Amino acid sequence: MVLKLNLRFIFAMGLYYGLYTITRGFSYVIASMSLPLTMLFLIGIISRGYLLKYAVIGGFISLISTNALSSAGDASFLRLELKFQDLLVTTRITRIDYMLGLMLSYLFFSLPGIVIYAVIGVVLNLFTAFRAFVLFLIMLSLLISETSLAFMIAGMMKHIRNVWGIVSILSIILSVIPPIFYPYTYLPKYVLYILSISPATPGSVIAQGVFGMQPFNYVMLIILIAETAFYFVLGMNFIKWRES
Amino acid sequence: MIEIYGLNKIYDNRVEALKKITAKISKKRTAIIGRNGAGKTTLIRILSTQLMPTSGYALINGLNILKDEEEIRKKVSCIPQEARPVGLLTPYEHILIYLTARGYSFKNASEEARKALKEVNLWENRNTPADELSGGMKRKLFVAMALASNAELVFLDEPTTGLDPLSRLEVWTAIKGLGSDLVLTTHYMEEAQSLADELIFMENGTIIKQGTAEEVLSEFKGKVRIESRKPVDNWKKAGGLYIKYVDSEEAHEYVKMGYDVKQITLEDLFFKYGVEIES
Repeated sequence: MVLKLNLRFIFAMGLYYGLYTITRGFSYVIASMSLPLTMLFLIGIISRGYLLKYAVIGGFISLISTNALSSAGDASFLRLELKFQDLLVTTRITRIDYMLGLMLSYLFFSLPGIVIYAVIGVVLNLFTAFRAFVLFLIMLSLLISETSLAFMIAGMMKHIRNVWGIVSILSIILSVIPPIFYPYTYLPKYVLYILSISPATPGSVIAQGVFGMQPFNYVMLIILIAETAFYFVLGMNFIKWRES
Repeated sequence: MIEIYGLNKIYDNRVEALKKITAKISKKRTAIIGRNGAGKTTLIRILSTQLMPTSGYALINGLNILKDEEEIRKKVSCIPQEARPVGLLTPYEHILIYLTARGYSFKNASEEARKALKEVNLWENRNTPADELSGGMKRKLFVAMALASNAELVFLDEPTTGLDPLSRLEVWTAIKGLGSDLVLTTHYMEEAQSLADELIFMENGTIIKQGTAEEVLSEFKGKVRIESRKPVDNWKKAGGLYIKYVDSEEAHEYVKMGYDVKQITLEDLFFKYGVEIES
């Protein structure tokens, strides 16, 4: 089977639903940055700057995770309230095009936060070209895996109000408790592996290794790749497209 | 041409929304009329390949909804019931996204968007976020999307529900501008008569009548409707009234008795089959 993507649609969704709406709905952008920026402030103060690196690198991961997970609410809203998804079902796009289009829009929507963290990272002299590239790949895989998770949740929901509650709980479980803002070595190994059910855990562990903050963990690299593929397939199958 | 063969739909909650419907829709513009829960939306969603039937099938211009969904989706455009625009996107952006989803290039999509927005008088508002549009403008935006798609067949599910009379008229004008074949659902008799050549009356998951306005009313030929607000034995209760159909020559007898005499309208189909409907 050849995977044929509608790149025009994916780009149009990213551009119009993601990039252009930044200026029209800036409060949402601020809201998505509030958690990582608050953590940056708190961690910086409490650790007297010692863990600031973790807060900055964790901020990138948290920003993408928060945006990706909250897309469950967005995807449910588009499907249940606006019937926007129904409108697109009867076009030539597939469920994969739709998912990728929304993913790209969330990536674009995260850009202001990414820029802020990038500036802080440059000021703290955290980046090399290699580190920046790996961090980009980590963010990309988190975007794919966690948006897929979000689509899975959205596909199972019949009422929009249930989504907000579940997303709030999942945001804490999947993007606050994992070792995003603290060294992963603080955790007992078995806890680390339990937490690796959230793609943010292997993502953070790899980032901490690449940025020289902690030893590199190859097992987590395999887990992140496997989870990205696994959650993507799950999301693709759970997203409601032509309903039965 | 739409051919429907034994179409049946039972939802997870065991509600049978369509009861083995068989029909042919061959006119250019068809209105499906029925009250809430009659099965109109389920039928449109199945025909436009949004929803799978439980059994039966339909052919859209010879293409089977069960096997040829990709081909059908190239030819049809469907505007769902209660569809609302995305608040932060402009009308122009809505059409561009919709047309790229239909396989248009950005250049062609932009050209079609321009034409369609002008056609429905939304060009001035092309860059206004949808949240700031009036209810009528929002509905016209969806008609513009259908218009821009140049689809062979357009399904509009209750395109004017909830609109004030002036906005409804504006949307009707926009719908009349569609060159495609059209199937629309509606609660409103007036809308059905104004926009469609053929009428399909649905109730309780079945089609109770199909034809032109003249054809579907043929059973009432030469008759009038007698109405009473007070209960009368053996008269049918419908819409808070008690009614009876008599030959028009007998009408004067009932007038003498103080009853109201009314000319037959499309609503009488629903009165006769025991259904209330908005007018």
